[in-house]
Amino acid sequence: MPNVIIDNQEVDCRDGISVLQAALDNGRDVPHYCYHPGLSVVASCRLCLMEMKMPHPKTHEMGWAPKLIPSCQTIVRDGMEVRFNSDPVQANQKACMEFFLLNHPLDCPVCDQAGECHLQDYSYRFGRAESRMVDQKQVNPKKDIGPSTLLYQDRCVMCTRCVRFATEVAGTSELCIVNRGGRAEIDVFPGKPLDNPMQGNVVDICPVGCLLDKDFLFQRRVWELTGSPSICPGCDRGCAVRVDHADEKVYRLKPRYNPGVNDWWMCDEGRFGFKYIHDAKRITSPIVRRGLDVTTPDWRDVPDIIRFRFEQQVLEHGADKVAVVLSPFMACEEAWLLIKFIRGVAPEAALVMGPVPTEGKEQTFPVRSANSGASEADVRFTISAEKCPNRRGIEMLIGGAGGTTLSFDEFNEQSGAWSAVWMVGGYPKPWVDKATTKAVAKVNLLVLQDLLESDLVAAASIVLPACAWVERDGSFVNASGLIQPFERAINPPEGAKRDGQYLFELAGYEGLYSGERVRGLMAAELDSFAKIAEAPTAPAHAH
Amino acid sequence: MASFEPILLRNRGVENSTSLEVYASRGGYQAVRKVLQRSPADVIEEVKSANLRGRGGAGFPAGVKWSFLPKDRTRTLLCVNADESEPPTFCNRVLIETDPHQLIEGTIIAAYATQSQVAYVYMRGEFHEQFHILQKAIDEAYAAGYLGKNVFGSEFSVECYVHRGAGAYVCGEETGLIESLEGKRGWPRIKPPFPAVEGLFALPTVVNNVETLSCLPHIIERGADWFTGIGPAHSAGPKLFCVSGPVNKPGCYEGAMDITVRDLIERDDMGGGMMDGKEIRAVFPGGISMGVLTADEINMKLDFDDPRNFGLLGLGTAAAVVVDTDTDLRSVLRNIARFYGTESCGQCTQCREGTSWMNKIATRIAMGAGRVEDLDILLETARNMGMMPGLSICGLPDGATFPIETLVKKFRPELEAAILAQEPGRAEAVLNVLN
Ligand SMILES: Cc1cc2nc3c(=O)[nH]c(=O)nc-3n(C[C@H](O)[C@H](O)[C@H](O)COP(=O)(O)O)c2cc1C
Ligand code: SF4
Ligand code: SF4
Ligand code: FES
Repeated sequence: MPNVIIDNQEVDCRDGISVLQAALDNGRDVPHYCYHPGLSVVASCRLCLMEMKMPHPKTHEMGWAPKLIPSCQTIVRDGMEVRFNSDPVQANQKACMEFFLLNHPLDCPVCDQAGECHLQDYSYRFGRAESRMVDQKQVNPKKDIGPSTLLYQDRCVMCTRCVRFATEVAGTSELCIVNRGGRAEIDVFPGKPLDNPMQGNVVDICPVGCLLDKDFLFQRRVWELTGSPSICPGCDRGCAVRVDHADEKVYRLKPRYNPGVNDWWMCDEGRFGFKYIHDAKRITSPIVRRGLDVTTPDWRDVPDIIRFRFEQQVLEHGADKVAVVLSPFMACEEAWLLIKFIRGVAPEAALVMGPVPTEGKEQTFPVRSANSGASEADVRFTISAEKCPNRRGIEMLIGGAGGTTLSFDEFNEQSGAWSAVWMVGGYPKPWVDKATTKAVAKVNLLVLQDLLESDLVAAASIVLPACAWVERDGSFVNASGLIQPFERAINPPEGAKRDGQYLFELAGYEGLYSGERVRGLMAAELDSFAKIAEAPTAPAHAH
Repeated sequence: MASFEPILLRNRGVENSTSLEVYASRGGYQAVRKVLQRSPADVIEEVKSANLRGRGGAGFPAGVKWSFLPKDRTRTLLCVNADESEPPTFCNRVLIETDPHQLIEGTIIAAYATQSQVAYVYMRGEFHEQFHILQKAIDEAYAAGYLGKNVFGSEFSVECYVHRGAGAYVCGEETGLIESLEGKRGWPRIKPPFPAVEGLFALPTVVNNVETLSCLPHIIERGADWFTGIGPAHSAGPKLFCVSGPVNKPGCYEGAMDITVRDLIERDDMGGGMMDGKEIRAVFPGGISMGVLTADEINMKLDFDDPRNFGLLGLGTAAAVVVDTDTDLRSVLRNIARFYGTESCGQCTQCREGTSWMNKIATRIAMGAGRVEDLDILLETARNMGMMPGLSICGLPDGATFPIETLVKKFRPELEAAILAQEPGRAEAVLNVLN
């Protein structure tokens, strides 16, 4: 582990990283634009320059070299001494900020990036209050570069992160630089818009408000948003995301750094796939049906109603006539509580793995093409074909519980065998097919726990609203078997109650549900749930 | 003063000098035959002891550069820098036009010394005729067995291609050149790795200027001692000088690096003095990038060292452009600023923004709408862009700032006087219209 001296302070750092990364890891706010740990190093913004001690060419005595060098391009070496707190370094930062703003339109009041803009932040720290340029600004165009993204060229700092992302990570190379010098612009090739399954990341890595997400455009000022750490439920990769929300509404998802899982990225499907959570067809209150009588019970009475109805079925038809269909959209904690409840009233109840949605084929990035030169070995991002977050977690729990376990097909084939079924949905897309409707058509007691309205609602004796993942907390087990916790971002819609909470009560616990609390209970029973994997916190000043 | 016996230009004026036949009949292609009998290391040693310093602008010793190539390399590439885009500079052009085989012979020698398998000539896009002249000479050399497989019947083989640029100054910078050769944008690369280790197509690469390579046959023919005997100690060998502007005989002349700027302008066998009794106001002696001299400073020696004594960046391309007292220095300033403003490749912040800002300011000053404080902003911007040592990826900002800084500093009274003599209110009026 190399030890370097940064601004007179000894710092231990990881091998092979740049001095800039070491400084950021160490909590230093070294300004930088072009450097991004997930992209190649171009050292062109010249904002991260530092002073370094080097042997004098003649006397060989160590001293501060007269030339400033890019800290992003310099790899740490044991014993190296550098500094950022000197006059020449700070004079360069200040001069750069003046340069960056010369042609900038200063339209922060109407810019989505305002509040999370590194041009604002660095200008505030190093810039001057007034422009010394009295001449006309270079006016660059605003461009529509693809179905989801706009490019306001006049705000660009030419860091080329976006171009490198499209080339190196997506492998699709839609972006390029046209023109030279002060007239250089980012652009797409004529007739080839920025349209790849990962394109949204360019908006995230653009350090300024040049690349804009059409979906979020003018929706909300970013300082009004609260970010909650979460896991994307779009596929089984389990990308770490941040849910940005305000007033119980989710405005956007952003990837969170999670090395080895999603690194710095996420796909567009996940990014824009959350819209269903605000769908008007959400089931928002519990329903209890007895004959033709339909009531909305008080939530306080729900656990007793359900327990009583199940006990009745077990008495009349036997415990082996009970089945619970678990959904791969459930959190592990919720599934564990539900199993605990069911097996408590019906020890022989069958545990069924609900439908596992898949779509198309797994997609890997950078996409391989004759030009990209990417080989099978350099996969940097994967979008899975399995479009749910927690099949593995549910399978682990079903396996751990033992007894009768069935696949969903087996369950459907045994239609007529069940007297009481608890069926969990929670799928973002319609999932109920004829076989399922038929399988439950004759059951005496159907408890449906679901998110969106479907044909099953009419058939169910009890309907429980399921909450969207942003309204719950718990954990998902991803494709590599990592148990990844996610936090609640917003509250459930009026009338609904968090699944975890009513399941907690049903399973006989008192007080408030929390994923963490239930994980503690689970770990006592199941070794495999003792270790959770949390994404590390990224250095505060890295971006 | 005794006139210099031409070495690099010895075939200038000879009829049909571009043909292989004429070149060979005047002793050409003998040096390369001798080289092929010697070991590459031996040739590098000879060039090192001749202290042949690069003629492309930086003056780095060629032999030393070659010895940076990794010992265990299996493939090496040679790039011949014929991009010659520095304003007032046309030494390479004259060499290609008058003696393309001398360049080809020098190229084969360098390729042999560095054990390069391929030599790429990167040629300035505007060189149309020169391209055809060189291509014809290369075809002749191939036909004669001097290029291609087993040159001169030896074990050594080298291919030679000409690649034509598309009109970017920055593609003369060696790593911009390499990127451009690879078919990419001509954006200079960050170093390390240096081209000698990882250059064109990620292979060890040497980049040398046309004139540097054209010296090689003579070093081999007459020996390093003869070469170092020409001119001052650190500036050995023949050198081409260009002179342009209002002189009687603008052109390209050869000499030792013991001449002064005054010699270049005034000697009968060179510029032949100012035309029509015009007076010198300023001289840019090394291409424009090195900076400017006042009329009092033209005793500066055109060698690798003296320019620094005058606040200049270096010898540069040793191409002088003379500005007479009738010329408005504001238009000179503007012309310079515009060049770099349009030639910066645009990747580094200081260079991209600094060159375009200086261009805007200089343009406005030339429009008669300057402000005295603009001169201070120009100086400060030049400093903020980094001047020796630079702050950016390549040397272009050094070249952009030296002429502007030296012009503003050395001619501040004249520039201020011109600004103060502007029509009153003009600066404000122009700014109002522009903004
Ligand atoms: C902006 C810029 C432009 C350059 N243009 C040229 C050029 O046109 N021709 C040239 O030979 N060298 C040019 N150079 C210098 C080259 O980078 C390099 O030093 C040279 O080709 C090396 O050859 P030499 O060692 O034989 O001089 C340029 C350098 C810079 C920074
Ligand atoms: S658009 Fe954004 S990411 Fe792309 S070069 Fe400009 S500032 Fe950088
Ligand atoms: S210094 Fe200027 S010309 Fe050189 S690489 Fe940087 S922007 Fe391009
Ligand atoms: S030059 Fe280092 S971050 Fe841009």
